[in-house]
Amino acid sequence: MNYPFWDVPLIGSGWVIGCIAIFHVMISHFAVGGGFYLPLAERKALKEGRAEWLQTLRGHARFFLVLTGVFGAISGVGIWFAIGLTHPEATSTLIHNFVFGWAIEWVFFIVELTTAAVYYYTWGRIPDALHLKVGWVYAGASFCTLVIINGILTFMLTPGEPWLQVAGTGAEASRFWQAFFNPTYWPSLFLRTVVCTSLAGVWALVTTSRIDGVKQPALKIELVRWSVKWLVPSFVLMPLLLGWYLWMVPVSQRALLSLGMSTIGSGAFTQVTRAALVIVMSSATILAIVYFLAYRNPLDFTFSHAVAVVGVALMATASAEYSREMLRKPYVVGRHMFSNGMRVKSVAAANRNGYLAHTMWTRTNVSPQYARGEAIFRGECMSCHTVDGYRSMRLLLNGRNRASIANLLTMLHDYKPDSPYRRFMPPLAGTDEEVRLLGDYLDHLENGAGAQ
Amino acid sequence: MGSAIYNWLDERLGLTEAMALAREKRVPVHGHSFWYYWGGITLFLFIAQALTGVLLLVYFRPGADAYESVRQITYQMHFGWLIRSAHSWCANLMIFAIFVHMFSVFFMKAYRRPREFGWFTGLALLALTMLFGFSGYLLPMDELSYFATKVGLQIPAGVTLIGPAIEDMIRGGAEVGEFTVQRFFALHVVVLPALFLPLLGLHLWLVQKHGNAVPPAEEAKPAAARLSIPFFPNFFAKDLAMWLIALNVLALLASLFPWGLGRPGDPLVPAPPGIHPEWYFMSSFEMLKVLGRWFPGAAGEALGMIIFNAGLVLWFLIPFYDGSNDSGRRGRIAHYFGLLVLFVLVVTTAAGYQSLK
Repeated sequence: MNYPFWDVPLIGSGWVIGCIAIFHVMISHFAVGGGFYLPLAERKALKEGRAEWLQTLRGHARFFLVLTGVFGAISGVGIWFAIGLTHPEATSTLIHNFVFGWAIEWVFFIVELTTAAVYYYTWGRIPDALHLKVGWVYAGASFCTLVIINGILTFMLTPGEPWLQVAGTGAEASRFWQAFFNPTYWPSLFLRTVVCTSLAGVWALVTTSRIDGVKQPALKIELVRWSVKWLVPSFVLMPLLLGWYLWMVPVSQRALLSLGMSTIGSGAFTQVTRAALVIVMSSATILAIVYFLAYRNPLDFTFSHAVAVVGVALMATASAEYSREMLRKPYVVGRHMFSNGMRVKSVAAANRNGYLAHTMWTRTNVSPQYARGEAIFRGECMSCHTVDGYRSMRLLLNGRNRASIANLLTMLHDYKPDSPYRRFMPPLAGTDEEVRLLGDYLDHLENGAGAQ
Repeated sequence: MGSAIYNWLDERLGLTEAMALAREKRVPVHGHSFWYYWGGITLFLFIAQALTGVLLLVYFRPGADAYESVRQITYQMHFGWLIRSAHSWCANLMIFAIFVHMFSVFFMKAYRRPREFGWFTGLALLALTMLFGFSGYLLPMDELSYFATKVGLQIPAGVTLIGPAIEDMIRGGAEVGEFTVQRFFALHVVVLPALFLPLLGLHLWLVQKHGNAVPPAEEAKPAAARLSIPFFPNFFAKDLAMWLIALNVLALLASLFPWGLGRPGDPLVPAPPGIHPEWYFMSSFEMLKVLGRWFPGAAGEALGMIIFNAGLVLWFLIPFYDGSNDSGRRGRIAHYFGLLVLFVLVVTTAAGYQSLK
């Protein structure tokens, strides 16, 4: 354990990233998709002389600026803040590898934020053609931010063979481009691009649903229908792209998807399957609502309908991002680093010299006989488990006695090829003595044995 | 071709008349229109219950094998856990939706003339749904359902004189066991549906016949100021959108919080701590307990039962007390009575959960 551990009770530190990131994804994908929506709509309005469209688009541009420039930017920085605290080891790996990538990313961020503001504030003040150009610069810059970050995100799932060969040698950055354009880079880029276009449509419905259908029926019908069309690419291409993406994911990870079909047994890792069900369900709902309510009856399509669609889209996005994260198990960086921050190559050393060999402190509010076990629990288990909340250790141990806990830990420590936990859990690294200490601590947690 | 088929069917089934009937009905639009969706939501959840219930029926084995068959559904059949979770969640959502529907009908005064039978059939449907819930809860025969049923049977047992006999009859013996499961199963899949469906038909027909009631404040407006939309297709489309939302909520709950299965129910093992009836029985359970404490002894028990049942009877008979639109003072009293009932339900339920701690 080289870093202090950030203990967030009940939800676990992972969900801090999760909550910020899901919120961010909803907005950042809108920032990219909406970046194309605005200039394309403006172009159409200018070409066909639709003055009333421009009025609505201006309002939409303001909504867009506030949402992306304030909430998108803040939550983006929030992710940085959270991953550094939650997963210092993995964050360090990413920085060592991609510091140049992030430098490029920040250039595009600055261009993006600047042009978004310029686009809104110069509305009607500069020549139309120039204004439209600002819109296109925004669209380009914003798409580039996706192009860059996608490389880093997909790297974590599939770093690729070339990079894995040099991992841990200090020469990782020499394989920058191989790691960047890793096996899932392209399917993920296309997948996210169509998600961006559909979120552009979903958010545009929020604005267009507020057009007064009694005063301006024609405008409402046109704009609501035009916005709905932005969802078409994703619904046509999504199944294909998702298939492509999953095909590029290692078989062992893909197998996680089917784990939950037959069971919800306690301790079985079924979350991916269950979240995948929610994705299918919520996507189908969006399709049905936008077609039957928005496209067929634009005049009856109200603001609350639009908010409901955003809510369902949030459900779809949340479960999709959650599944993608879970698909990486038991790694945080595929085949290189386990989800508790332990490098695959360091496991043998930790088994030999002890997991706590470099740990300087244990907690003083835990009785000394359990303090070292507690430190191992924090370092090796709490990246995914909490004591009483999410993936509660108390619940999962399910009344096991000391001997049964020892069996479980031995299974995790030996990490034999046929171990069922191997599919989604890292090995338990440490000496036999440490395994015993962790067992004592868990027994204390579960059965309250001994005095605290 | 299409129209030829339509005409052929129309001549025999009277489709045009049915469509005209659906079109004729209009749904009022006002500030409280939201509450009109809850009957439809309940209907949707009932349909979902019927579908998932039939799927469970394929693998469920009543009697001594009950626990094992539910274990197989939950841990072996592909997506068996999903269907079972959906069925359990949907049961809870359905009862919740009925309560919302009932109170919204009550406060909108939709039980007044000529809709009295809508109110009576609705209450009967609620009672049947709660029996569905009670009988279905035991079927997995795990620890929780076993002991909760044991506790829950205290409610019918509390009925004066005939209570113990009823309890024995339902239980099929002196103890909850495989015969109880068999009985509950027959009740759950044959008897209750046979009673429920015709009543539901009557209830829906009455809604179609009398249309939606409008709250008194809305009724006071001149006819020209009242807005409405046709039931078909406008309100129907909105109804379907609501159903879709209900389906999403159900899918979300069932997939993210799947229903677990405890250890097999075993009469020889002490009851696990915190055993209690399902939330929708909590209130009656707690009320009987409290009344028992206030009026101890056999006479007190009888008195408690009388008070408890009097409340139910009053609730049932409210249309006879507050039956017309110009009943002024009676209307207000009925309104306060409704608030009192809601308050007592919420407080006793909360107290019930509090006393578990």
